[in-house]
Amino acid sequence: MTALLVAVALSGFAGAVGGLLARARARVVVVAFFTIAASLAALTVALDVLRTGKVATLTTTQVLPFTGVQLRLDALGALFVAVTAVVATAVSIYSVGYSRHHPMSRSSACAFATFVTSMLLVPAAWSVTTFLFAWELMAVASLALVLTDYRRSADVRSAAIWYAVLTQIGATTIAFGLVVLAVKTGGQGFTTMALHSASMAPWLRGAVFLLALTGFASKAGVVPLHVWLPKAHAEAPSAVSALMSAAMVNLGIYGILRVGDTLLGGGPSWWWITVIMLGVGSAIYGSIHAATSTDLKRLLAYSTADNIGLVMIAIGTAGLLSSTGHQSFAALALFAGMFHLVNHAVFKGTLFLAAGSVQYATGTRDLDQLGGLFTRMPIASTIFAFGTVAITALPPLCGFVSEWLLLQSLLHGLSSSVSVSVVLMPLCVAALALTGGLTAAAFVKAFGVGFLGIARSPAAEGASEPPRLMNVGAGVLASLCVVLGVAPIAMVGLLNSVVRTIQTSGGSIVSSHGEALAISDAKGVFDPTLIALALVTSLLCVAGVRRVLSRRHAIRRAPAWGCGRELQTARMTYTATSFAEPLQRVFDDVLQPSQDLDVSHRGESRYFVESVRFGTRGGDAFERLLYQPVFSTVRRLANKARLLQNGSVHRYLAYGLGALVVILVFAR
Amino acid sequence: MNAAGISVWQIGSVAVQVALCVVGAPLLVGLMRTVRCRLEGRVGPPVRQTWRDLRKLLAKQRTQPEQSSFFFAVAPVVLVATTIVVIAFTPMVTTRTALLGGSDLFAIVFLLLLGSVSLALAALDTGTAFGGMGSSRLMAIVALAEPALLVAILALAAPVHSSSLPVIVAGSLHHPMWLATPQRLLAFGAFVIVILAESGRLPVDNPATHLELTMIHEALMLEYSGPDLAFVVLGESLRLTVLLALLSNLFFPWGIATALTGVSFVVAIAVLAAKVALLAVAVAAGEVAVAKLRLFRVPELLAGAFVLSVLAVLSALVIA
Amino acid sequence: MTNHSVAAALLALTSGTVLLCAALALWRRAARGIVSALRVQGYALAATAAVLGVQLHEPLLLVTSGLLVAVKGVAIPMLFGRLVRLDPASSETDPVVNVPASLVAAVVLTLVAFVATRPIVESVRGVPITLVPFGFATVLIGFFVLVARRKAVSQMVGLLLVDNGIGLVALLLTTGVPLLIELGGTLDVLLVVVVLRVLVTRMHAQLGVLDLDSLQELRD
Repeated sequence: MTALLVAVALSGFAGAVGGLLARARARVVVVAFFTIAASLAALTVALDVLRTGKVATLTTTQVLPFTGVQLRLDALGALFVAVTAVVATAVSIYSVGYSRHHPMSRSSACAFATFVTSMLLVPAAWSVTTFLFAWELMAVASLALVLTDYRRSADVRSAAIWYAVLTQIGATTIAFGLVVLAVKTGGQGFTTMALHSASMAPWLRGAVFLLALTGFASKAGVVPLHVWLPKAHAEAPSAVSALMSAAMVNLGIYGILRVGDTLLGGGPSWWWITVIMLGVGSAIYGSIHAATSTDLKRLLAYSTADNIGLVMIAIGTAGLLSSTGHQSFAALALFAGMFHLVNHAVFKGTLFLAAGSVQYATGTRDLDQLGGLFTRMPIASTIFAFGTVAITALPPLCGFVSEWLLLQSLLHGLSSSVSVSVVLMPLCVAALALTGGLTAAAFVKAFGVGFLGIARSPAAEGASEPPRLMNVGAGVLASLCVVLGVAPIAMVGLLNSVVRTIQTSGGSIVSSHGEALAISDAKGVFDPTLIALALVTSLLCVAGVRRVLSRRHAIRRAPAWGCGRELQTARMTYTATSFAEPLQRVFDDVLQPSQDLDVSHRGESRYFVESVRFGTRGGDAFERLLYQPVFSTVRRLANKARLLQNGSVHRYLAYGLGALVVILVFAR
Repeated sequence: MNAAGISVWQIGSVAVQVALCVVGAPLLVGLMRTVRCRLEGRVGPPVRQTWRDLRKLLAKQRTQPEQSSFFFAVAPVVLVATTIVVIAFTPMVTTRTALLGGSDLFAIVFLLLLGSVSLALAALDTGTAFGGMGSSRLMAIVALAEPALLVAILALAAPVHSSSLPVIVAGSLHHPMWLATPQRLLAFGAFVIVILAESGRLPVDNPATHLELTMIHEALMLEYSGPDLAFVVLGESLRLTVLLALLSNLFFPWGIATALTGVSFVVAIAVLAAKVALLAVAVAAGEVAVAKLRLFRVPELLAGAFVLSVLAVLSALVIA
Repeated sequence: MTNHSVAAALLALTSGTVLLCAALALWRRAARGIVSALRVQGYALAATAAVLGVQLHEPLLLVTSGLLVAVKGVAIPMLFGRLVRLDPASSETDPVVNVPASLVAAVVLTLVAFVATRPIVESVRGVPITLVPFGFATVLIGFFVLVARRKAVSQMVGLLLVDNGIGLVALLLTTGVPLLIELGGTLDVLLVVVVLRVLVTRMHAQLGVLDLDSLQELRD
């Protein structure tokens, strides 16, 4: 297994070098080959760790100066490695197809391979330096990828700046937290830290947790640190958005679990209540924005914030229940959260890749400009439809199973009769339900307005299927949505071994009972396979009955009813903006959109309107209310600091001398 | 009994439920229409008129808007099929249902959602303004009804630590005292509001109107005609029936067969039909008295249902 | 089934109704609806006292109950009814906080009440005490009505919700406030309502509306 870990790193970095060196035509194939090889090697190791429960380790003093590299892959990390590997494989296949018309530049080829490799290494890092090295590498590589189309518009550059700032703030707090922990426990290896962290002062442990939580939450896109998410995901190429949203964001969750549970060994309930509240806020805020966005990729990005919020609710509940001594219920919540995380990676990857195909075919991601794609690009549309059903938690696809498990864990959290959870659990169920409903609205809008009906622009009119490999890449993930939804028992063993790394005493609370899922301590079983089977049978029967009943006549195609008007044009159909209008009105206070209505009248009479223009701008309220004041304060302070800087070289040298003297005096 | 422990009675109960609902659902809607007419001083059509209408529609030719795709054609089938699956999973006649793995309240909520989503997509597929309007309004109402619904389910599931329907029903049969507790009354209120909203009854949507601008469900199915319309109408009436049957078994579980014998079976079927008919008459009578809410007042109603359901959970915990 | 558990269930029902009526007062816009929520709340409070009286064999509580019916169930709502007829525009057409947001706030306040009263409830297990959160939640919602509603009638209703909540907490905590205090409290409230009514009538005569926002002009 150790050899395979080496193979992952070598193959990944070979891809990066290959991307730099290869000729333009072969570049993407070289990169895809090496990333897929690295991913498959990583997947093999990860699945082996998950199945056998044995850890894979690799320690070398060669690569990094002074400290060397320490890798150790346990079941928790293995899950994240496996998810990343699967997503990266699909995205690599997709990228080969995509690059036919958009050739990959030298720098983004190198960044792509580096990004995937660093994501595969982060969950395996077992010392502070290794972890931070991989983490920073991931941040830099992803930043370079966000900037791929920097020539296209200023929005790309602004998105990259937002991302860079938030991710660096996050990295700083993580580094600070981990360094404090390392100093206090007397070692930078994770094993030492886990052994000695219990003896730290409670306030210090809390501070370390909060620092790490801040940093990891900013990577995970948790509200209010999510501001970069809709910008970067929308502006980055879709393959990159898919990687970021389906793989990188998860690592934020990984970090919270690793620091909170492995390194600090769990904590008091207020830690986890904080996590739950962040999750609830993130889920509701993200889903409201998703339901009202009209930009396809922004919508998907906000829905990432929403789903990560759900995972946060689950791990927060797990931590809370475990801190109050309900280990088996905690194990259930953790199981549900991890399952949802895997599902989110699969369906969000599907959706981003399919959205990329749409952008490839039409050149736009504005839902108001799309429409009628299902008849023009049936395969890509079907893939998006699968993603839609999965993310809306509809049976028989995968979102349904994890949503059910999340609800079960909250129900059992309620039964644990811990006073805090009594109040929190109904709140969480309400948040889960509201986000579920809003997600349904958001994706009916995305699919119904974007893919069905009449084409609303010439670009949508002229759309056709993307290159086959793009559909293959997205299709791999879409088929996983089906597999995870119909046969979730395949995941039971793997996820139980993840849960056991954290809830060591809990045992396996979710078990397979035939092909059904059974929760110990609860009556009744849940059988997604049966539900899928029943649905398919029932569909076939009803369709058969309809066919028999209406066999006498052929189907007649007729124009739709337009109140007596003959010709239906695209201008008459509902757009995404109008679809979202009722919800936008309901959540006016949260969204705070600015609307302008311009009515110009004809000269002769005020009763005849010449033209009406209506526009809404729905920025992010947090951006306006939280970040702008911070920015203006920083700018003011920076202007003050400029007083020190008057352009005289002698003065600058004097500063240097002064600093040297101060250091010599104080740091004896 | 075979190896899996599933008896003929259990399989039979599923078949009987499905058959009963498919035959009875249009009659139930007819009954509601007649009751409403009588209370308003009109004679109204006979109860079996709904079946006559369906038969007439089924004999016609299928039509489809020019711009629409596969989704438009498949949505009525999905609607009916999901509702039939829900009927098969709901323990209506006996608590010892054969399909235990699917008779879970949360699962049923998502199955019903699948029907709504497919109809909403089909409406958008027509490419008309009315379709979009109905679809957008339906999804807004569904999204806002969801919290009230799931939290109300939580209130019912919390005392028995399970969301499995047979367990909940059996639990309230064993503890008759539970039937009148505040949490059940509050949850009942929340359920009734959500069911009215989900099945498009007053005060959320008027099933008798055909004015395009005010309606929700009629706008969704505006383009359907012939057999497709028949399937949509049947699907909607099936959905109303199964929701009322769920309501009656969750809150008034008397009469449901707990043993698998012929007598209890026949009694259970008769009692079920009576309970559902009574609830339907009550809903119809209520509809005479209330007016339709403005669309933007509907969130207030659903927020009220949400308050009821949260209070239900809290009182369930206080009393436990 | 024991008598005790029946009493417990009934108490839960009546005090639950008190809270529910507070939520209803937020839910309804029509002044008439708000007043009828208040009326039902008065009856529910009286019923709580009556159940406690029967359970504890405390005849004084039955007297209290009768008093509550007279004052909070009949007299005060009647005074309000007159007021509503006086000004047909006293319904909340444009509240400060819109209705759905108010209801969500009510849910949050109820949860806060449950968390805040946890120490009391956990120190003494047993049914009258575990119901105390309902009373606290009513008080908080009453305050919220004062904050979130514009019309004078709603303001007075908010005040009475606070009073009813305190009354419920007192009933449940002491399992029966001494009759004299309850008598004094109830009559005080009646007096306050009468005084407020006179004020409001004056206000109506002066300004022609019963909208608190118009009082802001007095400052200028």
